[in-house]
Amino acid sequence: MREIDAIIVQYEKLRETETDCILATVVHVEGSSYRRAGARMLIDEFGNITGAISGGCLEGDALRKALHALHQGKNKLVTYDTSDEDDAVIGAQLGCNGIIQVLFEPLNYLDELNPCELLRTVVSENISFAIVVQFNLDKSKEQSGTRFLIDENLNFKGKILEEELLKPILKQAKIGLENDQPHFAELLIEGEKKHVFIQNYQPPVKLILVGAGNDAKILAMQAELLGWEVIVTDGRPTHANPERFTSSCQVIVSKPEKTLENIEIDKRSCFVLMSHNYNYDLAVLKLLSDKKQLPYIGILGPKKKYQRMLDDLETGGFNPTSRLLEKIHAPVGLEIGAETPAEIGLSILAEIQSVLTGKTAMPLKEKDAPIHEKKENHFKKVKV
Amino acid sequence: MMSKKKIYLDYNATTPVDGRVLEAMLPYFTEKFGNASSDHIFGWDADEAVEHARDQVSKLVGCKATGITFTSGATEAANLALFGFCEKNRSQGNHIITCKTEHKAILDTIQALEKKGFEATYLDVDSEGNIDLNELENAIIPETILVSLMLANNETGLIHPMHKIEKIVHAKGVKLMSDITQAVGKIPVNLKELNLDLAVFSSHKIYGPKGVGGLYINKKNKVEIDAHIFGGGQEKNLRPGTLNVPGIVGFGKAAEIAISDIDNETVRIKKLRNRLEVLLKEIDGSNINSKNSNRLPNTTNISFENIDGTQFLRKLNTLAISRGSACTSNLIQASHVLKAMGLDDEKALSSIRISLGKSTSMEDVEFATEEIRKTVNNLKTTTV
Repeated sequence: MREIDAIIVQYEKLRETETDCILATVVHVEGSSYRRAGARMLIDEFGNITGAISGGCLEGDALRKALHALHQGKNKLVTYDTSDEDDAVIGAQLGCNGIIQVLFEPLNYLDELNPCELLRTVVSENISFAIVVQFNLDKSKEQSGTRFLIDENLNFKGKILEEELLKPILKQAKIGLENDQPHFAELLIEGEKKHVFIQNYQPPVKLILVGAGNDAKILAMQAELLGWEVIVTDGRPTHANPERFTSSCQVIVSKPEKTLENIEIDKRSCFVLMSHNYNYDLAVLKLLSDKKQLPYIGILGPKKKYQRMLDDLETGGFNPTSRLLEKIHAPVGLEIGAETPAEIGLSILAEIQSVLTGKTAMPLKEKDAPIHEKKENHFKKVKV
Repeated sequence: MMSKKKIYLDYNATTPVDGRVLEAMLPYFTEKFGNASSDHIFGWDADEAVEHARDQVSKLVGCKATGITFTSGATEAANLALFGFCEKNRSQGNHIITCKTEHKAILDTIQALEKKGFEATYLDVDSEGNIDLNELENAIIPETILVSLMLANNETGLIHPMHKIEKIVHAKGVKLMSDITQAVGKIPVNLKELNLDLAVFSSHKIYGPKGVGGLYINKKNKVEIDAHIFGGGQEKNLRPGTLNVPGIVGFGKAAEIAISDIDNETVRIKKLRNRLEVLLKEIDGSNINSKNSNRLPNTTNISFENIDGTQFLRKLNTLAISRGSACTSNLIQASHVLKAMGLDDEKALSSIRISLGKSTSMEDVEFATEEIRKTVNNLKTTTV
């Protein structure tokens, strides 16, 4: 389960019992930190925490700040400067070296557009969103907070804000949506600065496992830990059944050529062909070959098998495009010396993660730069 | 008896608390009286106020909030900085360089360090109060660990060329401390640009309350100091003891006001000071000290020939002005600053410091110069 899902589940429980709570969101990070902008945690009035805004070093103080803001009943921005190792607030040697801005927003259950209600909208629909969080680095100024969303079709949901702000913020939100990256803007309005964090929310990765063997069973569990949505499909009811796949994943029994009938494919759908049945895998590969929006197709097995599949496709009069070949990963996985089904699962998931994020999967020790690119944090200056 | 009109022209000694500052402080004596270290609503309120003040103060002097430690005043900050730094870095050397015209808070502390085995060089100044930068450079020896030079002199207003000093000192790998007490609020001070390693300043010189000061430690330059008092861990253990929350809140508010006022006030006060000096120069036998150098815009130090200084001040009982620095003026002792500049005892004793501030008007300036003129002439006729 993803953090955002866990927060929504907890929020709903708290709302039922009318327990007051407050949402903390990392809205900006300069330098390095364990969690980036968009990390959230929900704190209830008794100090119970769901989610995390750091690797643990900030939570203690953040809890006090949260309870204080909850008591004051107003949004509050708190800065954690971990670039000084002996920061009074943190009081521990962190090894981080960043300035982290955390926004605290007390939640009003009577407000149908409160930040958690908006997040609930986000997770309940299977599309991308720009989550717009307004704040102000000048802490004495109003911290507007999480007030609206824009979905990938540019539909607006949330609180309407001042006319002069709406247009420029919408424009920034669109940039965030288009670039599919977190986006920060500093708006200059009549000599005053206002800040906006636009979080690019992506629906969960959809992992479709073709083949319901024991290795798929393990891979499904591993993917679930990542918060991915897993679908398992196989022609054998003895394998593809809910008794074997007890978690929340969807299990479909189908003939290979009918595999896609019950599966909705989007730009976050990844297939792994692992039926251990050559013809089954081949039939599904044929189905996938014209699905342009798919980012990833992994095929279990040696290179020889893959070559044979390509040859057979060609013989059948089918010439794979270079675009298709690029997204096929065969043999599937990264070279990490994986032997057991769990190790192979790890290697497959790591590869998918790197493909979806456009990263190289090289060891970070060999990267001659900070883990996160600096330009990601820059506030785009916008004059209103 | 009718009380005479009295005009305060001693703003370098101290300033009245601004009404807005007092207003900001008051709640922290009564309803918001919490201990900033307490882990409950009252403590959180106090802690938040302290951190807000730290932000405000750091903005005034152009540094990061985490660089500021609150103390009871500039003198305590100077003691903490000098003792703390010298003892922490004793293994690197035992030599300190300062200047003969420094404030007693620095000179007396360095003398105390001399008793503990440290060596000190006291740089000479010319007739204007300027140090010789070559002499400074030559004074730095392998044992030198710290140079301490004030930014602006409290008696003459003379401003040391801190950028040049910084380059010389850092080129030799030595740390630089500065007493910036008189400069803050009167001229723009940006610690980041000045690249000082340690700096000390005070609230009551900028229309804040007495009993609060700040110590700046440049963490970026890896400056470390030892603690000298021990207790409850407040202020990162450097200055433990329950925080003076109302005082700190007042310091912060005063800093915030200083930021918004400094540009206009500097221009206004400079105009008044120019008028003051034009009128004073007309008095026979007058000489303005440091007149050819870069000075604070509000300070005039002037000597009169052949005048008994004690009688002079007593007769000027409608003006609150200072002879020598305020801290030593209860002793009939010629100013160590003026003597270092080459004035003889008699001349130094017949010198006065006029320092203008927020409530000074053109009328005050004209009234004061007329009083001074009358008194000087009167004393001259009586002595003849």
